[in-house]
Amino acid sequence: MTEGKINHKTYHRSKTVTVFFLCALVLFGLAGRLAYLMVFQSEYYSQKARELHERERSIKAARGRIIDANGKILADNKTVCTVSVIHSQITDAEEVIDVLSKELGLSEEYVRKRVEKYSSIEKIKSNVEKAVGDSIRARALDGVKVDEDYKRYYPYDTLASKALGFTGGDNQGIIGLEVVYEEYLKGEAGTILTVTDAKGVEQDEEGEERVEPVSGRDLYVSLDINIQSYATQLAMQTMETKEADRVSILVMNPQNGEILAMVDVPEFDLNNPYTLQSGMDALAFSEKKRQELLNAMWRNGCINDTYEPGSTFKIITAAAGLESGAVKPTDTFSCPGFIMVEDRKIRCHKVGGHGAEDFVQGTMNSCNPVFITVGLRIGVERYYSYFRQFGLLDKTGIDLPGEAGTIMHKMENIGPVELATISFGQSFQITPIQLATTAASIVNGGRRITPHFAVRAARADGSDSQSFTYPVREHVVSDETSETMRYILEQVVAEGSGKNGAVEGYKVGGKTATSQTLPRGSGKYIASFLGFAPADNPQVLALAIIHNPQGTYYGGQIAAPVVRQLFENILPYLDEKIYTGK
Amino acid sequence: MAQRNASRRGQQKGESFMDYSLLFIVLFLVGFGMVMVFSSSSYEANLKLGDSTRYLRQQLLASILGLVAMMVVANIPYHFWERFAVPAYIGSAVLILLIIPFGYSSGGATRWLYIGPLSLQVAEVAKLGMILFLSSLICQMGKKIRTNKGFMLVLLIPMPIALMIWQITNNLSSAIIVMAIAVLMLFVSCPDYKRFFLLGLLTLAGAAAAVFYVVQTAQAHVDDLDFRGARVLAWLDPEAYSSDTGFQTLQALYAIGSGGVLGKGLGQSMQKRGFLPEAQNDMIFSIICEELGLFGGIAVIIMFLMLIWRLMIIANNAPDLYGALLVVGVMGHIAVQVILNIAVVTNTIPNTGISLPFISYGGSSVMFLLIEIGITLSVAKGIRLKDL
Repeated sequence: MTEGKINHKTYHRSKTVTVFFLCALVLFGLAGRLAYLMVFQSEYYSQKARELHERERSIKAARGRIIDANGKILADNKTVCTVSVIHSQITDAEEVIDVLSKELGLSEEYVRKRVEKYSSIEKIKSNVEKAVGDSIRARALDGVKVDEDYKRYYPYDTLASKALGFTGGDNQGIIGLEVVYEEYLKGEAGTILTVTDAKGVEQDEEGEERVEPVSGRDLYVSLDINIQSYATQLAMQTMETKEADRVSILVMNPQNGEILAMVDVPEFDLNNPYTLQSGMDALAFSEKKRQELLNAMWRNGCINDTYEPGSTFKIITAAAGLESGAVKPTDTFSCPGFIMVEDRKIRCHKVGGHGAEDFVQGTMNSCNPVFITVGLRIGVERYYSYFRQFGLLDKTGIDLPGEAGTIMHKMENIGPVELATISFGQSFQITPIQLATTAASIVNGGRRITPHFAVRAARADGSDSQSFTYPVREHVVSDETSETMRYILEQVVAEGSGKNGAVEGYKVGGKTATSQTLPRGSGKYIASFLGFAPADNPQVLALAIIHNPQGTYYGGQIAAPVVRQLFENILPYLDEKIYTGK
Repeated sequence: MAQRNASRRGQQKGESFMDYSLLFIVLFLVGFGMVMVFSSSSYEANLKLGDSTRYLRQQLLASILGLVAMMVVANIPYHFWERFAVPAYIGSAVLILLIIPFGYSSGGATRWLYIGPLSLQVAEVAKLGMILFLSSLICQMGKKIRTNKGFMLVLLIPMPIALMIWQITNNLSSAIIVMAIAVLMLFVSCPDYKRFFLLGLLTLAGAAAAVFYVVQTAQAHVDDLDFRGARVLAWLDPEAYSSDTGFQTLQALYAIGSGGVLGKGLGQSMQKRGFLPEAQNDMIFSIICEELGLFGGIAVIIMFLMLIWRLMIIANNAPDLYGALLVVGVMGHIAVQVILNIAVVTNTIPNTGISLPFISYGGSSVMFLLIEIGITLSVAKGIRLKDL
């Protein structure tokens, strides 16, 4: 062995060195590969890794408020909390169970099941009052998470429920203004990016990245809470005393179409929109039936339903007659209590007849034969073109969902008998909002306005403000016709069938109506009154409709007093508002 | 040269040499490994076992046992092991065969034997056994090793052990390492380069042919490939196989890439939190890169390079061929394993389970590596200072 040593030494040394350098070479190569991965590919792999580690949680945006003409908040947001537990972070399970079950009013068993469940995050309860959430948070229990969230809140519960509408579980509008102005109200959700391990457990020390939510814009509406409240009171009172099925009251500014009040009692509680009217047990109905009942409860009679307007429609017949020259205020008529149209005998509501009367008196008397005569004089084609001109055949375009259209005979199907019945407001159906809007357009000087609620949208800090404009169609009737109509309708209230609508100290114009609901002979009536004031320069127009009143059912007897009471209260109020320039 | 050899032949009494550089490098790697094992395993250990220090404690125990064994072995003159050459070879074979009736499975492979409370990965024993056996064999062959017959003999004798490791314990990587140790020892023992150059070419051609075959087969019908074939495909395009065979590789690349130049800081790895399988084991180098960055990764490579350099110095100054071959075997073992491990985690070669010496979690591995260092220290003791 010693002999070969020199030989061995010489080459095995150099070969060992060769091995070392080979290894060094390969290791240098690997270091280069490492540098390539960690410098040039770093961004790519970091991005990939971040995508793998980050979980996104969204933060709800505060929904815009709905604010009335006086700045009162009609729809607001309430902060509520969601309480959850993170299993892996709980240190004292018993205390967590004890505190949560007591604070949240849940059974210990229920909480225990969730606390002991092995999951990344388990929700215990949502929609918890902020005070309760705060007190749980103050305990600083490990593994208990209290997240704040927004819930829609309506400070006035039932007030203007059908106009305002409500929101669903994701704070999205379901009906009413809430759904029409969804885009303005909803805002943009924010996000919380949290880093989690492979199982989804959040890594607190990694912190979180927040993209703050953008709150929705506040919606400023023309609705006036004082007028709305009073109108609601009146409607409730009327519904109770007259034992009516439903009472609707619409109050609008006839000059620009702004709606000041829209009442359709019974209303519902916006904070509990899925609770049926009292006396109904939700569990007693099938799912389908329950939904039908809810839909009926949410239905806005002022815009979603049509009715036979009756004599209030004589306003339109009169305007068409005057505008076409078919009738002049001084034209005289004679009413024997009926009129023959072809072979049909159509009765006047006054059995004995009104005798000799001019057109103004005929309107004051709401005399059917007078209006039938006018209607026949106008003729089908002209009458129909006025319908179109007045905007009666289209929808009003109000900013509420589900507006019903006018149900009218086709022009080619209108014979003399149909024309006669249309002339005094029967045999077709329109919505209350359509009647009020058309009447407003006739008395405001002939400008067809668009009824609406929304005036402006802006963020809470006043930025991003946007005013809404609505189409106006000029000259649907001439100034002269409009003025004549104001005069005639003022006479109706001053001395005619609408005298119960008169308000001391104010000039009020208006028209009553009493119509029998279909089928005829059911004994069910709709009593209504449309009034406006001041009669010579209308600033407010109101329409009250009482569905199926018991006892007296004449519009002049029961509906006109409702508008009178309303006007007695709101006219001084509006005067003051105009005076103070609000 | 001759003068130096002549003086050595004199066997004068000199101070016994303790290679503190080597000792320091090894202790540093073991200590650093412990820190990284804790860092990479504590999150998952806490979550799954409720005990964040479980892996650290086991590694610490194995390291202490290994260090004690190292010091004992370092103080035994290395010629003591010469007589265990044949028993080491036969013992390795027996241990591997014992796997068949008594083996313990973990992670789909049967590689461990239980001796009381200790588990033993038999392949680690076989690597040490092969170093001991081949060192004696080559010394006894003398000049015969230069003949083709001798050359083939040294290559063929480790084959049965390598094949057994591959087939019985389903551990191709350990089989490759055993063969690589043999080839390196043979390379150092033979004066020529030609045959090794040919051998290298043959290996490369074989590997290229295998990859080519896998790709061709995959284009025709993927289902015919076994898991190794699938790993080759995943190596070529890990993102296309991200849900199965490419998953671990891709997760390792995410870890390495997201570390950047300076790293996320010790303990800050995200990939160890359940994303990267075997984070404390075969894939620990990617966690080092994620936490300590390119600087940390290169520092570890430099530490290993220094270790190999130190082993080269000892081998070249060993008192005799037997000592030199022992150290060359240890050097080959560590070098091959470091290179293959880093190549795997950086997706330079297809994924195969190889641990990073001294750093990866694994009791048998760290214990037997420390014993090998003990043998090296014993060889180093034979160097008399004035020789250097």
